[in-house]
Amino acid sequence: MKVHIELAVNGVDYQLHVDPRLTVLEVLREQMLLTGTKEACGVGECGTCVVLADGAPVTSCLVLASDADGAAIETVEGLAADGELTDVQQAFVNTGAFQCGFCTPAMVLTVTAMLRKDNDPDIEEVKKVLGGILCRCGAYPKILEAVTEIKGVGK
Amino acid sequence: MTAYVGSRVPRVDSVDKVTGGAVYAVDLAMPGMLHGAVLRSPYPHAKIVSIDLSRARSAPGVKAVVTGKDFPLLFGSAIKDQPFLAIDRVRYVGEPVVAVAAESEVEAQEALDLIWVDYEELPAVVDMTAALDPDAPLVHPDLHTYKRGGHEIVPHTNINTLYRYSRGDIDAGFAAADLVVEGEYSAHALSHVALEVHTAIAEYDMGSGGYTLWVSTDRPFFLRNELAEGLGLPSTQVRLVVAQVGGSFGGKGVPIAEAIAVVLARHSGGRPVRVEFTREECLIASQLRVPAIMKLKTGVNRDGLMIARSAEVLWDSGAYTAYTVGVAIRGSQTIVGPYRIPNLQILSRQVYTNKAITGSYRGYGTTQVTWACETQMDEIAAQLNLDPVDVRLKNGYSEGDAYLNGQIMYSVGLTETIERTAAEIGWGSVEREPAPHLRRGKGIATMIKPTMTPSSSNVTINMEQDGRVLVICAAPEIGAGQDTVLAQMAADAIGIPLSDVSVPATDTALTPYNGPVASSRTTYHMGNAIVSAGAEIRDEILGLAADEFGIDAEELVLRDGSVYEVEGKLLITLKDLLAKFAGEGLSLTVGSRFSSASSPLLKADPGEEWMSSIFWMFCTQAAEIEVDIETGVIRVVKVAAAADVGKAINPMLVEQQIEGGVVMGLSNGILESFSIRDGRIENGSLADYKVATIQDLPQIVPIIVESVHEEAPYGAKGVGEPAAAATPPAIANALYDAIGVRIRDLPVTPEKVLAALAELSEQGRA
Amino acid sequence: MKRLRAFDYHEPPTLAEAIDLLVAAPDDARVLAGGTDLIVDMKTGRMRPSTVVNLKRIPELSGIEEIVGGIRIGALTKVTDVEVSLLVQERCPGLAEAASILASPPVRALATIGGNVGRASPASDLGPALIVHQAVANIQGRDGVRVEPVETLYVGPGSTTLASSDIITSITLPDPPPGFGSAHVKLGKRGSGTDIALAGASASVVLGDRGQIGDCRIALASLGPIPFRAKASEALLKTEMPSETVLAAAAARAAGEARPISDMRATASYRTTLARVLTLRALRGAVESAGAEVAV
Repeated sequence: MKVHIELAVNGVDYQLHVDPRLTVLEVLREQMLLTGTKEACGVGECGTCVVLADGAPVTSCLVLASDADGAAIETVEGLAADGELTDVQQAFVNTGAFQCGFCTPAMVLTVTAMLRKDNDPDIEEVKKVLGGILCRCGAYPKILEAVTEIKGVGK
Repeated sequence: MTAYVGSRVPRVDSVDKVTGGAVYAVDLAMPGMLHGAVLRSPYPHAKIVSIDLSRARSAPGVKAVVTGKDFPLLFGSAIKDQPFLAIDRVRYVGEPVVAVAAESEVEAQEALDLIWVDYEELPAVVDMTAALDPDAPLVHPDLHTYKRGGHEIVPHTNINTLYRYSRGDIDAGFAAADLVVEGEYSAHALSHVALEVHTAIAEYDMGSGGYTLWVSTDRPFFLRNELAEGLGLPSTQVRLVVAQVGGSFGGKGVPIAEAIAVVLARHSGGRPVRVEFTREECLIASQLRVPAIMKLKTGVNRDGLMIARSAEVLWDSGAYTAYTVGVAIRGSQTIVGPYRIPNLQILSRQVYTNKAITGSYRGYGTTQVTWACETQMDEIAAQLNLDPVDVRLKNGYSEGDAYLNGQIMYSVGLTETIERTAAEIGWGSVEREPAPHLRRGKGIATMIKPTMTPSSSNVTINMEQDGRVLVICAAPEIGAGQDTVLAQMAADAIGIPLSDVSVPATDTALTPYNGPVASSRTTYHMGNAIVSAGAEIRDEILGLAADEFGIDAEELVLRDGSVYEVEGKLLITLKDLLAKFAGEGLSLTVGSRFSSASSPLLKADPGEEWMSSIFWMFCTQAAEIEVDIETGVIRVVKVAAAADVGKAINPMLVEQQIEGGVVMGLSNGILESFSIRDGRIENGSLADYKVATIQDLPQIVPIIVESVHEEAPYGAKGVGEPAAAATPPAIANALYDAIGVRIRDLPVTPEKVLAALAELSEQGRA
Repeated sequence: MKRLRAFDYHEPPTLAEAIDLLVAAPDDARVLAGGTDLIVDMKTGRMRPSTVVNLKRIPELSGIEEIVGGIRIGALTKVTDVEVSLLVQERCPGLAEAASILASPPVRALATIGGNVGRASPASDLGPALIVHQAVANIQGRDGVRVEPVETLYVGPGSTTLASSDIITSITLPDPPPGFGSAHVKLGKRGSGTDIALAGASASVVLGDRGQIGDCRIALASLGPIPFRAKASEALLKTEMPSETVLAAAAARAAGEARPISDMRATASYRTTLARVLTLRALRGAVESAGAEVAV
């Protein structure tokens, strides 16, 4: 029996009837075709499925779609919606804070959410906040450089 | 004079990657696509007695159910030993036995539960040393009948690779040495953990009998050829299209998801079939780093000069050889390290075991042997009471030295990598006890890596009517910035703005042959092809301008997208020049092939040329660590990492590789390990196979060393692999410096540290 | 992709309806709180419940509030909210510490305190911390309402005294007396502490007017089948002044009380060592949290 949900994704309202076994990640990637959010483990260990739910980074592979009812979800596709990179995205570009790019959507979203709450976090706090997203390419040093570049600058 | 080469230009894939616009194989979907799932062996070694598919075939959504009997083909690049699906027996836990295609992935996964396989367990050999036993069960009793290349095997055993090398007189060498240091070292299995899982979509063309695949790979032509060979098809009957690749690290070069996708596509009436591995499947049933046990013995003089080395290396290929034969041979050579040792004896054997398949892993065997070599270097230094830095400098290669096979080595920046890392880490001074339970130490390690030689790269450069250029080549962007570096070189070789250069995706039907994006070879080989083709295109344009304006082409230059007279006067923009051909239409196309095969740089002792490398890479790392002597936990505080890259085409990207290599090396050396019992991986999940996070990050100082290489494009060699190899021994050597504990078996775990400390204090040496 | 198999799904709007559903459902029915354990278990196939009852539509199960004599944390309160709550940090610092190193931030933003307790993992991050703070679980089920100390809730790995239709509604933590301090220390496979605990130790002390240890509690994780109190170890501390020697003796005793197993994550012997080391560090932390210094 399907579940009726109403949610906003990147500012657009949706009404969906979903199979209750679906996760937010599946709905985003396979029904809305927003493939920027990734799966690299499916069990909450890698962080590549992170989206912002009401402003907070969450591992979307562990959230049933039905629990997104009433939520405002932001995915990476929602950041540069008008075609212009945000400060966070531009900083990642300038410092080369990515390599294969698979973790980059999650990193960019999480940094964005962090800076919205505190636009001058100290480095140890930044490491803690990003600790749940794996980057196998090891772009961590340049990710920290990117954050340092935009600290204090705002969103 | 270059506009882009040498600059920190932003990567050309930047916008795609920060906006989620980059498309990977996992993001692809096609009309009518089916989804695959795989039933895998629960046993390390067993006969397949019978398979009951009746319930699965009639399960909801199921369109195809295929076993090895339906598809009894084999593939394998060095030895054709691997079935697409297990045929009459299974040889490792996780081996694919039945493949199912269904309308949805969950239906395919659920159908697996409806399949019953009757197995008869066979005695398994799950330990590589035990595999050498004359009474050991044979993983491949018919090994001697398999189609294979020219390397040596030992028939009627588990030994699938045998390699021997010697030089000089090993016995005389040891006899003459003041001191002989011996040790046994081991390197463990690791997973690449590329974040993008193994994925492939395959489509079978019933008319031609050929296949098209959309894949995630670093070596499209190797993979295509191996698939075609296994399928019994001409190579061009298999077409591979490659999207962005979410990391490879050497793990995506052999048929893995592709083999399953092909099998299912063949039985799905022409519908494309997508096979996406779960992370668990990637961990237990794709490829792992080749585990190795290395016995090393070095004869050295009191002043630290090494005069003899013998090595006995045992490698574990797992159940099939896949891409391990080259690792066992090439990797074994580099156990000599970047050192001049006149008397050598190497015995390398690789065995089959009933365990997961192993293969190339960021360094092709060098991470394993560097562990042994560099740990022993420090043991030598300790026993002779010499500084570990000095011992390396004393024995290390310099420009013009001869390699093992007599090849003269050019572009040898080794000394500079050692000196600069030692200086950066503050060698010789350590704050020993920052707290009662903490100790600090510093350690250094270096390494040498050849590149695949010979190898070749083709490129076609198309210049379109609007002056934009396509660099058409099969060099998938696997994360190291290949597209950017190649675009920079193309822009400079031709004389146009970087923004006018595109590097389209790889499609083996359209992009000409390239060797793998592996072995750190892309910048050098594809770069040389691009430099050549770019110069030709430039000359064609200058020729057109010369004709147009009646000026000698020698008097003209193409720079930043415009033609100038040599004195500096602007003649015409490229766009305007090309526009003159609007009526008849024009695009300029130049193809170029670069091969290292006939280079005089490879000259060596007769019969030994195959050991030469068109360039050598050197990487040294110095690490400062802090160890908690109550828990054994090591915190890596700082790593100074230097790589001799010849020339940094893009220093920012070189830093990415050095930093990334250190993070991976640290993770490999102290965090990652598999718990394997009776051939079965117990921790086949990221919940228990732990990879470094940003919280594990030390301070990393990347140091770019440049040395002159006459034949390199703009002087550039390679950098992708070396940085991951030196980190574990640098850390372990720092551990010894901190607390006098010597670990010889990877990984360096807190438990081993505490056990070693306890042993030390028992021996009263703490 | 890892996908869930089909199940009967319910999202009751009230506690009473949730309980009724659980009473009527097959034995393999599971309640869904944050999903960070259940969804993972369902994807790995460790659990295949036929029925899932999602509790998150029930309004009164979330939130941290002051009550008479303590604080009440709704069972569906996110672990991240426990971590950052000033009330919790002030009155139960060890609990805030334990919350701060559970899994990783995007998982903590989903995980719930009730879910963690109900899961009853021997490696539980919050369990030992709740025990040393004398936490009490408020439970509602088919037979009405009851309270039970978290300490006695745990029965075995993955199992509690909860009946299949019982639901933890909140956790109550009594106000700490003057002189109270607590701390939590854990070691995971990665030094950063965000992994499944190889070993974990929580400690709380109440220091008297001379600085002597009065009431004290030590609870350990991953060192036995359930998070448990190291009572013999506590006994060594009572009435003593907190010195390195005294704490070390208690920590050594705690190691003796531990019943660790060897598994793929660690050997029993290493865990025993960690029991001593982490207990000592937790005790030091608790004393410092109480505003005192550990005498050398």
